[in-house]
Amino acid sequence: MEQIFEPKFTNQLWYLTVKNFKSMIREISQLVWIFGYPLVFILLFRFGYGLETFNIFAPGVVILAPIVLISQLAGHFAEEKESGTLQRLITTPVSRSTVLLSGLFSQLIVAAIQIIVMLLLILLFGVSINPNANIFLLFFIPFIVAFTSLGFGLILASFVRTASSAGGLAWFIILPLQFLGGLLTVPLVGFIPTSLAAEAMGAVMINGSIAFDLVGLNIIFIAIWGIGLIVLGILLFQRKTAIL
Amino acid sequence: MIILDLAIETNNLKKYFGVIHAVDGIDLQIPKGSLFGVLGPNGAGKTTTIKMLSTILPPTSGDASVLGFDIKKDVLEIKKRIGVCPQELVLYPRLNARENIHLIAQMHGMSKKDYKERTDDLLGKMNLLDRSKELVKNYSGGMKRRINVLMAVIHEPELLFFDEPTAGLDPQSRRVVWDFIRDFQEKDSTIILTTHSMEEADDLSDELIIIDHGKIITQGTPDELKGKLGEGDILEFKVKEIEQRNEIIERATKLDFVQWGKSVGKHRIVLNALDGLRRVSEIMDVIKVKMEDISVRKNTLEDVFIDLTGRRLRD
Repeated sequence: MEQIFEPKFTNQLWYLTVKNFKSMIREISQLVWIFGYPLVFILLFRFGYGLETFNIFAPGVVILAPIVLISQLAGHFAEEKESGTLQRLITTPVSRSTVLLSGLFSQLIVAAIQIIVMLLLILLFGVSINPNANIFLLFFIPFIVAFTSLGFGLILASFVRTASSAGGLAWFIILPLQFLGGLLTVPLVGFIPTSLAAEAMGAVMINGSIAFDLVGLNIIFIAIWGIGLIVLGILLFQRKTAIL
Repeated sequence: MIILDLAIETNNLKKYFGVIHAVDGIDLQIPKGSLFGVLGPNGAGKTTTIKMLSTILPPTSGDASVLGFDIKKDVLEIKKRIGVCPQELVLYPRLNARENIHLIAQMHGMSKKDYKERTDDLLGKMNLLDRSKELVKNYSGGMKRRINVLMAVIHEPELLFFDEPTAGLDPQSRRVVWDFIRDFQEKDSTIILTTHSMEEADDLSDELIIIDHGKIITQGTPDELKGKLGEGDILEFKVKEIEQRNEIIERATKLDFVQWGKSVGKHRIVLNALDGLRRVSEIMDVIKVKMEDISVRKNTLEDVFIDLTGRRLRD
């Protein structure tokens, strides 16, 4: 009666990504965190500081959205480790790297939705976007920041054992990125992903610029950050979960 | 080398965690199609053995082949052919029962038609069809335990590892799971069942090993192992005179119908006596202490463990 099946990597990746996505959207607290945290700042700037200030900080508020993915991804993998589901999955013919990739993919889908919603919300709340602004770049700059968030999230997931500790410790990365990068204030450090992204986003959104030294170069640096962090995160995660 | 009629063969298999010898040189030969029990107290090395055989945990030393494949070199081939039901309830709480079961089928590459039909069949057998679309987080412990089992068998594996499959279940649900395991074995699968329940091991296993401190202390069919204890009944009683336990046992075993005696824990003494029920008063006369909580029963696998280690399975 036994049959030996030949599973395909692409099917496994798809099914795991769908599973992660379903698990995420069925948890109200995660939805509140993903969309609620950036929304609070939209409301705060729009109605607390007024439209003029909001126009200046709107690019940073959009960048804020993918930053919350740090705790999302770290929490996701910590939960898989804590509950034993990661171990259960690897008793099937699925590789550890497929499981890992599926986690990244599902968060990237969330990032894409999040960024589109944030852009629509800032428009709805009256932010004036330069008519010459490149729509693709308005989406792409925060989206590429999401890769750096996933890198930070993976590194964090390597060290934490529980989802709750992942959620708590993520703040030690989110807050410095948020404040040092000048998402809600003036930037204090120029070379971190958030400050590079805020500068590029501001140039596109406010000035309608596509200048290479302000936009293109910053995107390249953010991409380098993203690749570096994800590679480091994958290495650490594989090593730390080799024996579960 | 592929050995066709053995499901599992191990040679001096060891797993050490620092100074802890979790598995300390296990040699096994498990024939295909058998239901093989691994009985032992908590921490005896049962789960670690299963983790090594299911390729989750690399051994410290020794060799093992599963369905003819080497556990170190042929990991993927082994994973395609096995199912693992872990001791803990390992489910996705925000997926429903069907989605949890389907996920494992999808990882094995089953076709959608096949896994949907089979899921319906399995859920029916476990009396879970009517609530199969509810999120698992809303299930009772017993329902979760049954889903935990179904996730291990959806792909009809050649070899199944059940690690304490009925832990924490009420008697009725335990019966459902036992019937399900028996039914599965009748389809020619090989089943490895770890348990610390002597009743479960006795009822289900064709053959079993008892392990303690990472070593096999005895092996045989349940009847063979119980037979080794002799024909007598088991008399178990509590005594207040803790310091006199050895003298009590010595006095009792001088009686020709008392085959052996063991002290268990601080207060209890277990004797194996021929026709024990009718001879309780004779024993009391000889040991000259007041017995409390006396019970007389047929011997069990727990008594085999007591005989070999002087401890209970749950100590």
